[in-house]
Amino acid sequence: MRKHWKLGIIIVSLVLLVGLQALAAAPIKITFNTLFHEADAQAMEQIINDFNSTHTDVQVELTQGGWTDYYAQLRLSVIAGNPPQIGICHANKLVEMSDYLTPLDASPVGNIIDMAKLTPDNYVAANWKAGELNGHHYLVPLDTHGWGIWYNKDIFKKAGLDPENPPKTLEEFINACDKIKAAGYYAFHPGEDAAPRKLRRAWYVFFWQMGGQLFDADYTHATFNNPKGLLALQFLVDIFNDFGWDKPGSNGYDQFAAGKLGMLIAGNWYYGTAQGSGVNWAYMEMPSFFGTPYTWGNSHQIVIPVQPKGTSKDVYLAAAEVIKYISEHSHTWTMYGGHITAYKPEAQNPELLASDYWTKSGKWLNQMAQDGLVHFPINNPKGSELEQAIQAQIELAVNGNISAQEALNKAEEDCNKILQGQ
Amino acid sequence: MRKKFGEFLYRHKQLEGILYVLPFASLWAAFLAWPVGYGIYISLFDWNPMRGSKFVGLANYVQLFHEARFWNAVGNTFEFAGITIPLILGFGFIFALMVWGWGRTRHGATAVQAILFSPYLLTVSIVAIVWKWLLDRDFGLVQHTLGSLIPSAPVFLTSTAWALPAIAFGTAWWLAGYRMVVLQAGLEEIPQELFEAARIDGARQLQQFSHIILPLIKPSLLFALVLTVISAFRTFGQVLLMTDGGPGTSTEVLALYMYRIGFDYFQVGKAAAAGVILLVMILLLTLLGVKLLGLKSELQ
Repeated sequence: MRKHWKLGIIIVSLVLLVGLQALAAAPIKITFNTLFHEADAQAMEQIINDFNSTHTDVQVELTQGGWTDYYAQLRLSVIAGNPPQIGICHANKLVEMSDYLTPLDASPVGNIIDMAKLTPDNYVAANWKAGELNGHHYLVPLDTHGWGIWYNKDIFKKAGLDPENPPKTLEEFINACDKIKAAGYYAFHPGEDAAPRKLRRAWYVFFWQMGGQLFDADYTHATFNNPKGLLALQFLVDIFNDFGWDKPGSNGYDQFAAGKLGMLIAGNWYYGTAQGSGVNWAYMEMPSFFGTPYTWGNSHQIVIPVQPKGTSKDVYLAAAEVIKYISEHSHTWTMYGGHITAYKPEAQNPELLASDYWTKSGKWLNQMAQDGLVHFPINNPKGSELEQAIQAQIELAVNGNISAQEALNKAEEDCNKILQGQ
Repeated sequence: MRKKFGEFLYRHKQLEGILYVLPFASLWAAFLAWPVGYGIYISLFDWNPMRGSKFVGLANYVQLFHEARFWNAVGNTFEFAGITIPLILGFGFIFALMVWGWGRTRHGATAVQAILFSPYLLTVSIVAIVWKWLLDRDFGLVQHTLGSLIPSAPVFLTSTAWALPAIAFGTAWWLAGYRMVVLQAGLEEIPQELFEAARIDGARQLQQFSHIILPLIKPSLLFALVLTVISAFRTFGQVLLMTDGGPGTSTEVLALYMYRIGFDYFQVGKAAAAGVILLVMILLLTLLGVKLLGLKSELQ
C-alpha cells in the first residue's frame, strides 16, 4: 500500500512538472484587431502568417473587419477590459482616441519604443510626428494612403488626347474633360462612389490647393466660408451639373470599371478593381487645379490600446515585437495592400520596386507623399461631428438641392455650434 | 424530499408559475431589461469611463431638445413611419386576403404564400443592397426602366423628396410577407358559418368585409400593427446602407442619429437619452394603437 502511495506521488509530480513546463513554453498570445477588409486585409494576413510561422515564443491572432464601427469597438473593448494587444488608428483620429491608447514612451512597463528598439529615423518623419500628442508618443506609422487620378487610356485616345501626357493644370484638365465628354463618355468623377464623405474630401482637395484652412488654429470657429471655399465648392458642384462631366449620385468606381468614365479620383485601394476591370488604365498624380497640387490622404498607424491593469511586461514587449516585424516587412503591405509603407528601408525593397503595383500606380502616390502633398484630414476631438456637418451640406449642393453659398453658410453655422458646444 | 417539495408547491401555487417562466425571465432580465435600465441610467451622465462619468441630470435630454438635427431626425422618423406602416399593413392585408380567398377556391395558394413571404427571410443588409442596386443612378434596373419611360423621373436616392419614400417602399417589400402570415392566421380563425349566414341574409362582399372580417381580425391586426410600429420607428440598417442618412440629413432617422452620436461621436450619454426618447415614443404609439382599435377586452 505504502509503495502505491509513493508511486502515486511520483506520477502526480511528473504530471505537474510536465504541465508547468508546457505552460512555461507556451507562446505569448497577442490579439491584433484591424479595420482592414479588402486587399489590405489579405496583405496584413500574409504578414501575420509569416510572423507566426517564424516565431515560436509569440503567436498573433488576427481579426479584421469593416472600419465603420472600428473605433467604437476599440473604445468599448478597452472599457470592457478586454482590448486587443495591437490595433490600428488613423493619424487624424489620435486626438479622439488618445484616452484609449497606451503612450508608447510612457507605458505602465516603461518606454516601449526604447525597449523594442523602434527607430524613429526609419519612419517617414511626418508620419512619425503624427503620433505625438501632449508630449507623448502613441502611434507607430504603418503607411500613407491617399487619392490620385485613374484614367482610361483608350478613352483618352478616342478623345484625341495623349494618354502618356495626362493633364497637369486646370486649363489642360478642363480641355481634357470637354474632349472626353464630346467623345461620348463621362469625363471626370472627383470622388470615388460619391458617398458624402468622398464629396467632402474632393472639396477639401480643391480648397487645400488654394491654401485654404478649414478651421482656425485653436478650433474656435470655421474658416472655410470665404471666396476660396466657395470657388472650390462651386467647381465641385459644376463638375456634376453645369460642366456635365458626370451626374450627381453617380458611382465613379462602377463607371470607371465599366469603361464609361475618362478620369476618376480614387484611393490606392482601387488598384485591384482597376486591374480586374479589363480597362486599359493609367494613374497620375493629382494635378494642380488651383495651386499647390495637394491630395487627400491619411496614415494607418499601429497602436497598443490601453491594457487591463496587471498586464505583464512580456505582453507589451511581445506586442512591440509584432509591431516592429510588421514595419520591417511592410513592403508586402504596399505590394498587396496598396498603401505606401511608412518604413523607409522597406520603401526601397527591390521586390516592391519591380512590382506591377509600384510601377503602375504606387510610385506616383509615393512621390506625392515624399513631396509632402498628401494632406491629412482634420485632427480634432470633434472631428467626426464636424466632418459630418460639412459633408451633409456639400452633398445637398452637389445634388442641386441648395446653392454652394447656402451650403457653406449652413456648414459654417453647424460647425461653429459644434465647436462652441451648443 | 420529493414529496415535501410537491407539498410545498401545492401550498404555494403561484410559485409554480414563477418557476415555469424563470428560465426565460432570467434571460430577458439579463439581456433586455438590464440593458434598457442601464441605458436609462447612463442617459443621465456625461458618460466617459476613461476619465470618469459625470452626473448631468436631464442635461442630455435638454441638449437634444435644443438641437435642430434631433428634431429633423424625429421628423424623418415620423415621415418614414407614416409611409411605411400603411404600406406594410396594406400590402400585408391585401396579400392575406388574396391567399385566404384563393386557398378556399383554388390550388397553389401555398406556393403564392411562400413567394410573398420569401423577402422576409432576407437580412436587412441584403434587402438594402438589393434596393440600392435597383435604384442605382447608372446601372439600377428600376431607375433605368423608369427613366426610359419618364425622362423627368426623379433619381430616388439622391432626391431629398424621394429618398425616404424609396427606402420605405423597399422596407414594405421586405416586411409585408410576414404581416400577411399574421393576418392570414386571423382570417383563418373566422368561423365560416358567419359568412354563410351573411350570404343567406343577402350581405354583399364589401358588407362581409366591413361587418365580419374587420371586427374579427382586430387582434391579429393589433399584433401586426405593434410589430410594424416598432420596426418602423427602429429603422436603421436600410437607411444606413441605402443613403447613410442623406442627401444631407434628409433620411437621417432617429435610430441612425442615435448610432452616429453614440458610435461615431462617442457621446454615449446623449445617445442613450435619444434611445430613451425613442422607447417612450414607441410605447406611447403602441398604447395609442391599442386604444384606437378598442382591444382592451381582447387583451384581457
